Amino acid sequence: MRRSLSVLALSAALAVLAGCSDDGGQVRSEGGGSGSGSTGSGSGLSASDLGTQSSNQDVTAATNQYRTYVQGEVTALRAAAKKFTDAVRAGNVAEAKKQYAPSRVSWERIEPIAGLVEEIDVAVDARVDDFAGVDDPKWTGWHKLEYLLWKKNTTAGGAALATKLDTDLATLDTRLKTVDITPKAVALGAGALIEEVSEGKITGEEDRYSRTDLWDFAANVEGSKAAYTVFKPILAAKNPTLTTALDSGFTAVEGSLKPYQVAGGGYQSYTALKPADKTRMQAQLAALSEELAKVPAALGVA
Amino acid sequence: MSSSAGRRGSLSRRAFLGTAAVGAVAVGGAAAGGIAVATSGGGGAAPAAPGRGFRGEHQLGVLEQPAPHGLLAAFTCVDPDRETLARTFRELSDELEGLLSGRPAAALDPALPPADNGVLDEVTDPGLMATLSVGASLFDDRYGLAARKPRELVTMPFLANDRLDPRRSHGDLLLVLQGKEPDVCLHALRRVMRRTRANLVLHWLQDAFTRPDAKPRVGQTQSRNLLGFKDGTANPDAGDAELMRRLVWTAGGGEPAWTAGGTYQAVRVVRMLVERWDRAGLTEQEALIGRHKGSGAPLSGTAESEAPRYDDDPDGERTPLDAHIRLANPRDASTRGTELLRRGFSYSRGIDGAGLLDQGLAFISYQSRLAHFLAATDRLRGEPLEEYLLPEGGGFFFVLPGVTRDGDHLGRSLLTGMP
Ligand code: HEM
Repeated sequence: MRRSLSVLALSAALAVLAGCSDDGGQVRSEGGGSGSGSTGSGSGLSASDLGTQSSNQDVTAATNQYRTYVQGEVTALRAAAKKFTDAVRAGNVAEAKKQYAPSRVSWERIEPIAGLVEEIDVAVDARVDDFAGVDDPKWTGWHKLEYLLWKKNTTAGGAALATKLDTDLATLDTRLKTVDITPKAVALGAGALIEEVSEGKITGEEDRYSRTDLWDFAANVEGSKAAYTVFKPILAAKNPTLTTALDSGFTAVEGSLKPYQVAGGGYQSYTALKPADKTRMQAQLAALSEELAKVPAALGVA
Repeated sequence: MSSSAGRRGSLSRRAFLGTAAVGAVAVGGAAAGGIAVATSGGGGAAPAAPGRGFRGEHQLGVLEQPAPHGLLAAFTCVDPDRETLARTFRELSDELEGLLSGRPAAALDPALPPADNGVLDEVTDPGLMATLSVGASLFDDRYGLAARKPRELVTMPFLANDRLDPRRSHGDLLLVLQGKEPDVCLHALRRVMRRTRANLVLHWLQDAFTRPDAKPRVGQTQSRNLLGFKDGTANPDAGDAELMRRLVWTAGGGEPAWTAGGTYQAVRVVRMLVERWDRAGLTEQEALIGRHKGSGAPLSGTAESEAPRYDDDPDGERTPLDAHIRLANPRDASTRGTELLRRGFSYSRGIDGAGLLDQGLAFISYQSRLAHFLAATDRLRGEPLEEYLLPEGGGFFFVLPGVTRDGDHLGRSLLTGMP
């Protein structure tokens, strides 16, 4: 959420501040950049500050492929969200509860990229921790609706929030069409998604009322893998040890999630997660994060 | 949700360092060579450990004079089988050897995350010690090690007065790190964890401190625990190798052969109700412990180094029969040869829900037989000092034998040569 986006925005901004243009993935034998005094702040960035495109054609092609993936996900996201918001507006609590988790899947897959549009991220996906309390009128989006549905068992007061969610996602759609999705953002995004799982999903903080955390968990992993997959042929040629490690890393995490899948799609409640499985997933996610941290350097976009 | 300063830092540095190179650039040995950022965490030389380094018949951190800072880190092993577990021990042992012997961290391409976290860059004398031990749970049905379990090793049961919190108790492994400053322990912990990400998950963590004697002397100490009493006075002489062979190091006794050179480790994280203690009269405090608070002398004498005498005080007129030290060690034939080597640390963890200080003693003792510890615990059961104490965590572990030669590593004798 806001976290991953600020990290990405910051790094992109710093790349610009430090004046590091891409050199096409050539090996540099010495570190540059020492003596740069500015640390920059993450605030006040516009989308146009987000790094540079690569002069490596393969990397550029892969990044374009990922952009297409993002567009597909945004389209799916708006449709799925509409089912959810329609149910809220219709006052159908049961149906709204059913549509809540599916409505978030595409969002969670592209979260770090979607998060580049910062005000939308905050409007749609902030948790109550970012506000004074549950009654803070500035708190909007999925989790506010989640709170109403599960904690209050009502859609009362939800219609306006639902409509705002639709509008915000429409804005996201428009804005993402003009955001410059750089290879670096995609490469870092793959790692950021797994950090998200390690920090927020595995703990059960994300969907604390609905307990649908494992849906988000799985979607984050899918999104990370999608980003990795577009770069995989390039990585495999440069560093096959890394792609082997990444492949088995993803396989391990997917294998741990599998027993929690339910027939007809989706995942069991977070409360079903066995402590021993959670511990094993923690290690698998952490190990995967270590490998993903090597991807930007291996692509020459760090 | 909250942004992580650490992560930001590393990303920002990544960005500053410019575009990536592919793969690792090995700068053999010379950590500071070649790459401009080496001192800001790029490859910083892990500073040499004092004294003998990693190798030795026994691990470091048991007999040695304690360092001022300690960190107890208990881990759960998630390896699926024994083969993977054996590899994890090899990696872990190698990482500890690197840290303790001052092996420089590899200097990597600056586009990559640096091999070392940089926390100790330019620190030349960290005074690191590391002691790795295994808990009873490692010998459950996961790895087929049951036949190799040290005979007396069990999951620590609820003992006297306990309120064990499962989130702060037991573990497949325990790593006790010690150093001159807290960051020495944290540096090593992060290195070890990074090396074993896929294999070990932190189960509980307790940082701790003490004030070791500048010049250790038998029968005397300047270290005080948070009750304000000298702690360690009556410890056996750790410099007496023959005595340590009997009291501390496990050998024979029907134990599996691999245990030779190891020791049983009892860890008790004991909360002290310090506000209440500070309201107890001095005479009362001294009667509860059995020693004078100021001098550390036993109530039966006037100097700290004097051995307590109970034979001429059968009714407990000088030293109450239920004083801590009298119960712990009545100093008669029944306890001779079963003395524990106590190596505890103090800790402070903030405040509890009632607004009371959460402080205490991370009691650690080493003994050749766990029975020696259990017998002392039995004698202490119901002691009046319990009113001020609440054991909340810890566990029983077995400290692995040391590593003496090339090709050996911590846990090798435990894990190899099995069907
Ligand atoms: C918070 C808990 C504890 C506190 C505050 C505490 C405090 C003390 C103090 C002040 C002494 C006297 C100084 C010295 O000889 O070191 C002492 C001695 C001793 N304690 Fe403890 N202790 C604690 C827990 C334990 C436990 C759990 C055991 C073992 C089961 C134990 C066993 C002993 C022994 C064997 C001695 C030496 C007695 C002698 O040989 O005269 N203590 N303790």
